[in-house]
Amino acid sequence: MNTKLEKQLAELLEANIITSDTAQKILAFYHTRAQAKPNRLFTIFGVLGALLSGLGIILIIAHNWDDLQRSTKTFLAFLPLIIGQMACAYGVFKNKKTAWVESSATFLILAVGATISLVSQIYNIPGNLSSFLLIWTAITAPFIYLMRSNLAVIIHLVLATWYACDLGYFYNSHVPWWYLLQFAWILPFYISLQKRHSESNLAGILNWILPLSLVIVLGSFTNGDTLVLLMYIALFGLLYNIGQLPLFKVQKLRRNGYTIMGSLGTVFLLTILTFEWFWKDAINESFHARGLIITALLFLSGIAVIGYLRLKKRLKDFNLFQYAFLIIGLLYLTKDLGAVHGIVLTNFLVAGLGLFAVRIGINKSSYGILNYGLLIITVLIVCRFFDTNLDFVFRGILFISVGAGFFFANYLLLKKQRKNNINSTSNTASHE
Amino acid sequence: MNKSIYIISLFLLFSVQLFVPAQMVYQQEDALDTGTAYKFKTQPIDPNDPFRGKFIVLNYEMNSFETNDQSWNNYKGNVFVYLKKDAEGFAAVKTVSKTQLPTPDDYFMAESNYNFNGKVNFDLPFNRFYMNENKAYDAEVSVQEAQVDTTKTCYALVYVKDGTAVLDNVFIDDKPIQEFVEAYQDKRETIEQGN
Repeated sequence: MNTKLEKQLAELLEANIITSDTAQKILAFYHTRAQAKPNRLFTIFGVLGALLSGLGIILIIAHNWDDLQRSTKTFLAFLPLIIGQMACAYGVFKNKKTAWVESSATFLILAVGATISLVSQIYNIPGNLSSFLLIWTAITAPFIYLMRSNLAVIIHLVLATWYACDLGYFYNSHVPWWYLLQFAWILPFYISLQKRHSESNLAGILNWILPLSLVIVLGSFTNGDTLVLLMYIALFGLLYNIGQLPLFKVQKLRRNGYTIMGSLGTVFLLTILTFEWFWKDAINESFHARGLIITALLFLSGIAVIGYLRLKKRLKDFNLFQYAFLIIGLLYLTKDLGAVHGIVLTNFLVAGLGLFAVRIGINKSSYGILNYGLLIITVLIVCRFFDTNLDFVFRGILFISVGAGFFFANYLLLKKQRKNNINSTSNTASHE
Repeated sequence: MNKSIYIISLFLLFSVQLFVPAQMVYQQEDALDTGTAYKFKTQPIDPNDPFRGKFIVLNYEMNSFETNDQSWNNYKGNVFVYLKKDAEGFAAVKTVSKTQLPTPDDYFMAESNYNFNGKVNFDLPFNRFYMNENKAYDAEVSVQEAQVDTTKTCYALVYVKDGTAVLDNVFIDDKPIQEFVEAYQDKRETIEQGN
């Protein structure tokens, strides 16, 4: 048992803050939680074991044992697959616990890949990496629902992302359309997980890797013109707004990959857009229909999420981060009027986002968000330092003002927190 | 989910997982057993694949066909390549077609991306030959050295049946490439020890 906890309970008992009955209850609570822990550890180690041995088999296969006969190699190729299937079937029939299910499913998924790899290798079957990854994900995808394995979802998403990158970025003329189906396949699982176990570890991990996968893959759907930046701004806007949905907003910020990725992505791209070249290039660019359709769909999805939030009365406080992508969208539509208004307004928008983050930081008493806002403003000014024809004195004054802003805003927050502390102490005293 | 439906679905999935590689094995074995063997002149280079290991990419000499048919200009897509054997016994193109022809000749499908001036260019699909990780790089080097010094011929032995082409082995002057590389590695070791 945790001696630190016992010590603290003894101190609280001595100070008459809790009764001995409460202390016993607290001890019993942590005791039962500790009993549940070994099982979770066992699952983690089981899965790690399966993952490592599965990857090990793939590596041993990749060595290519040319001393063995073709028939022996073919027999060995099927061995890991059959072992994996037997382990999964045993787990299902014997109603084994999570550790067994997770480990056997992980092993089997890797074994499927190993078998196809070895057969391709033995017979020199043509085909690039992306077609191999596509077949692999296709014949292991049902595991997500049949075995209800958490790791199967993660492996599926990783393989799907890899497939899309290989096809879309390395074979430029190919668009990884199948990725959309692979992504859509896990959505029902993800949605039901969010509804039933939104606090689980897997839900937290998926809140990060789902948007991350989209961010990585989106570029493979375009031809690399300036529209790709607009497309990403729309995606980050959509992600940020998804992060504002009640389901995600109530969770801790570190579990909300949508909000963090959406915010960082928006600020990063908007900072790029404060330079002149983007707007000058944008005016001369001609676009492909595919890029236009995807961008329009992303914007419409973002607007739909905002509409949903408004409908559910979740837009009480104005948040500039939610609308930044729409403002840039409107500026882009008016790009033919000239580059100047685009550049100027984007600069104001980035500065506005910085100030907004400062405001949110102060309201939420969060030093992290406050300094994030100040950092946005600093980056903007550093960019202008290299970019504009402003004179040295003016630039110097700008830098000093931002430096002073850092001190002042942090001091303001510190003062606010002290005031809150004093208020709460005096409230406790008056209650007593 | 109903338990019996669940079990049936699970076993259906297991069967699919077994069927996919088994079908790959069957198709290749069938072509190797009953297909016609062709020799394709080639040159190897060595890249690698994270799952399937090291392989040599084969650059085939036979990669185009001259035709007067103007409809091939700017054509992109699959092409049926029909085979014959030349005077030296190596594979040669008899004809190419965008659709399957009613002839008994052996054929395979290739991808064609650039066609101009009455020349249909294509990439042969069986251009990967997987090798032991210690031999792939030396295969490339040894074959290049051999081709500079002498008039050694490097060719791939490919079995073709009903559109399936299976690359069986790569030979340098009728010696399997594995043996050729081993001999090269032994020779190199002897020289290094002598130094």
